[in-house]
Amino acid sequence: MTREATIEHSLSYFDNGHFKKDLSKLVEIPTESQIKKGLEHCLKYLRSSMVPAFESMGFETKIYENPISNAGPILLATRLENPSLPTVLGYGHGDVILGFDESWTKGNGPWKATQVGDLLYGRGTADNKSQHWINISALRSLLSIKGSLGFNAKFIIETSEENGSKGLREVISSNLSAFSADVFIASDGPRVRQDWPTISLGARGAINFDLSCNLREGGHHSGNWGGALPDPGIILSQAISCITTPTGELKIPEWRPQMPSTEVRELLKDIKLDAGKDGPIPDSNWGEPSFSPAENVFAWNSFSVLAMTAGNPQNPINAIAPNSRAHCQLRYIAGTKVDQVLSSLRRHLDEMGFSHVKIEQPPEENQGGFLASRTELSNPWVSIVRQSLKETCGVDPAIIPQMGGSICNDLFTDLLGLPAIWVPHSYSGCSQHAPDEHIILPLSRQALSIMAGLYWDLGKPPV
Amino acid sequence: MTASKGCLKDALQAAVSDYEAPKGYFSKLSKLVSFKTESQLPERTPILYDYVSNAIGPLFEELGYTLEVFENPIKGFGPILLAERNEGASLTVLGYGHGDVIHGQESQWDNNRNPWKLSFEGDKVYGRGTADNKGQHLAHITALKAILNTRGKLGFNHRFIIEMGEENGSRGFRDLIQKKLKKFSADVFFASDGPRTEYNRPNITLGNRGVINFDLICDLRKGGHHSGNWGGLLTNPAIVLANAIASIIDSKGILKIDALIQKNIPKSVINALKGISRDGGPNSPKINKDWGPINRTIIEKVTATNTFEVLSFSSGNALNPVNAVPPKAIAACQLRFVMGTKLKEIIPTFREHLDKNNFDQVDICKPLESNSISFEATRTDPNNPFAQWIQSIVSNSTNSHCGILPNSAGSNMTEVIQYDLKIPIVWLPLSYAGCSQHAPNEHIIKPLMREGIRTVTEIYWHLGEENNNTKDIFTS
Repeated sequence: MTREATIEHSLSYFDNGHFKKDLSKLVEIPTESQIKKGLEHCLKYLRSSMVPAFESMGFETKIYENPISNAGPILLATRLENPSLPTVLGYGHGDVILGFDESWTKGNGPWKATQVGDLLYGRGTADNKSQHWINISALRSLLSIKGSLGFNAKFIIETSEENGSKGLREVISSNLSAFSADVFIASDGPRVRQDWPTISLGARGAINFDLSCNLREGGHHSGNWGGALPDPGIILSQAISCITTPTGELKIPEWRPQMPSTEVRELLKDIKLDAGKDGPIPDSNWGEPSFSPAENVFAWNSFSVLAMTAGNPQNPINAIAPNSRAHCQLRYIAGTKVDQVLSSLRRHLDEMGFSHVKIEQPPEENQGGFLASRTELSNPWVSIVRQSLKETCGVDPAIIPQMGGSICNDLFTDLLGLPAIWVPHSYSGCSQHAPDEHIILPLSRQALSIMAGLYWDLGKPPV
Repeated sequence: MTASKGCLKDALQAAVSDYEAPKGYFSKLSKLVSFKTESQLPERTPILYDYVSNAIGPLFEELGYTLEVFENPIKGFGPILLAERNEGASLTVLGYGHGDVIHGQESQWDNNRNPWKLSFEGDKVYGRGTADNKGQHLAHITALKAILNTRGKLGFNHRFIIEMGEENGSRGFRDLIQKKLKKFSADVFFASDGPRTEYNRPNITLGNRGVINFDLICDLRKGGHHSGNWGGLLTNPAIVLANAIASIIDSKGILKIDALIQKNIPKSVINALKGISRDGGPNSPKINKDWGPINRTIIEKVTATNTFEVLSFSSGNALNPVNAVPPKAIAACQLRFVMGTKLKEIIPTFREHLDKNNFDQVDICKPLESNSISFEATRTDPNNPFAQWIQSIVSNSTNSHCGILPNSAGSNMTEVIQYDLKIPIVWLPLSYAGCSQHAPNEHIIKPLMREGIRTVTEIYWHLGEENNNTKDIFTS
């Protein structure tokens, strides 16, 4: 009954092939929460996979129907050992981004987990099925070895994270005591480098919006009219160039957050982002001019054009297009005045003479809408987690003030008032949200040991 | 002159009778329209040949023309017909028409009209190709026939080209003529295509804007990457391409590449354009005066100014956007340009501009085959004697002031006439802007075509009059 035995147990779960087998079953369920037929699979995921797993570990489970229509249900699993012990809240999401079935070049498409070398391909392998499954499995290892956790555990599995975590806020707000805890520890997103265990203390927020320039009804022959009619593709390009320079520097003052503190810059100093050999290479000349890539993604805001269209790109014709549209996103860190993002954009566009470029609601299925949040470095729980990871891995983990991605972290920090600490188990080259999503199996193995050690440490009686 | 005037009257009478006769103009037009000569569809290539051999060829042969059919130098594209009548005269006139049409768009026509059959409704006659261009070259044939029946000869040598791939970018056309310059050589070019600028009076058009289509592509990596994890780390190709476009043209539609701006419009062009107003017809879009150079009139903007368009733009998955930094952005672009800008200098100029502005990540690529087009700009000077001569005949014939459009806003094959055959170009458009050319419900207006046939007859008549030494006038 030792820390080592718990870690050993979690590693043997990996080594005997059960981890891969169990994860493969989870990947098979096409839990695409952005489309209607995916929602049935979300419910199935909770009922047939998660509930039995938690119940076998002595958790009580409750599935909350999502109060928002067309959004997936939410599971809360609870194991209360003793009211005097601290309660640790865990989290994962069972839903995935769209499969893009036709576009996969590796493995066997999105819904069949397939190992190629050290990599396991499949939709949700990285985001987020393997990550919560690792944590659940580590809890099981602890229970197997010790018979109890030594803390109270609550675990949320939601199924609309890829749809903006719709309804999760409402469910937690209406059931605050059911979800209450002392600390939040969960896993999602990538490590800063595949071989460097990482702690993330927050998440960037995301606001999605469309820019649209709709000038007239149909196209008009560019021979007869070229020169007389404003071209919406040109106007929208101009508008975008007024928001961001060709090297990604933000031009709207309200979109630029406070400069990172010396302490944060110190933490980020050694972080060189490396997405592995197949991953993209960060562009050194993109973003805020004097910033390192790590500062740009972990301590700064970034603007993306996610998609843009004008005319008929499949079959261009010699006509001036009637309209153009860019689907845009601002990722922002805590401290950015979120209620001013769109109003300052409007003012900026008007000042630049783009009153005919409208800011519109993004498409329903990709609305963004995450809030930024952060737990401060000085919180005592951060030291506990940091120490635990160092003990298991032998290296001091990387610590980032917030991950680049967005997640419903604010529900835990702001709504539940918890310190929230993320220990991600993926890496940035994992093609999350794209075809060919995958995990690195040896990394998952190490993650199992990290979580087993961490849960052991959380359940240790205070010295 | 008195004697020949009476004869002109006879010729005009003959032309109008033919136009109105049951077996005349419309009976022939109905046959021409029944050939589905849609040159953009590869499966129509045999019909393109059929039109030449069985529809238009016989009409020329009837008038004593000899025919030569040239294969297109580009395999799979339509043939080119040269009909020739050599009278041993000093003046040789080159005519032109195209027998191919744009897609029929069946089922999109109102009143159940069939694009391949004429529908007579009041003053309008509907059918694909009625305006563009079958009805127009048939008008020339009708006029020529009237002249020959009245005078027994034309009085000039005539070469008439029927192209079968105009609506497909005239591919192979210039190559062919460059190889056979002698066969196609002439002293002047006179033909009809397109719409007149104003419904109520005729005009002649002396050239075309040039055009080149190309793609601007910013292709940075293979797949998309999560915009949270990678936003701020990876260059966004849509933002780079938007900035590149923004460096080419400003938000008011004014080109920013100095070498591509035609700063001065020739005086003769300004003067000619002063008399032209632009009547776009009932379905024309609302013009925004703030677009393009502020000191230019609308007609100057579309006919005497270089203009850049983004025909389409695409990045990411616009139908189903996801939170990922897209890998690639493509803009299908176009430059329409006027005399003074040379086709071969355009792409290198764009490249130089992009490089100078640090857009080396933006490539200039060939457009999709279906959207590939390039033509030089052409313009015969409005003061050219042949242009002036035709203008005065048209004005006389129609009792109105014939306008001169130095070049049209659109683009076509006239480059070969100006730069290879090196002769003055005069188009007399017989259609009007509301004719729904390139759309369902294409049509001609009967009184307008009747006037057009009379005018063309009068021009041919005077071109062939004895003792009028037209050749000396035109080549002076």
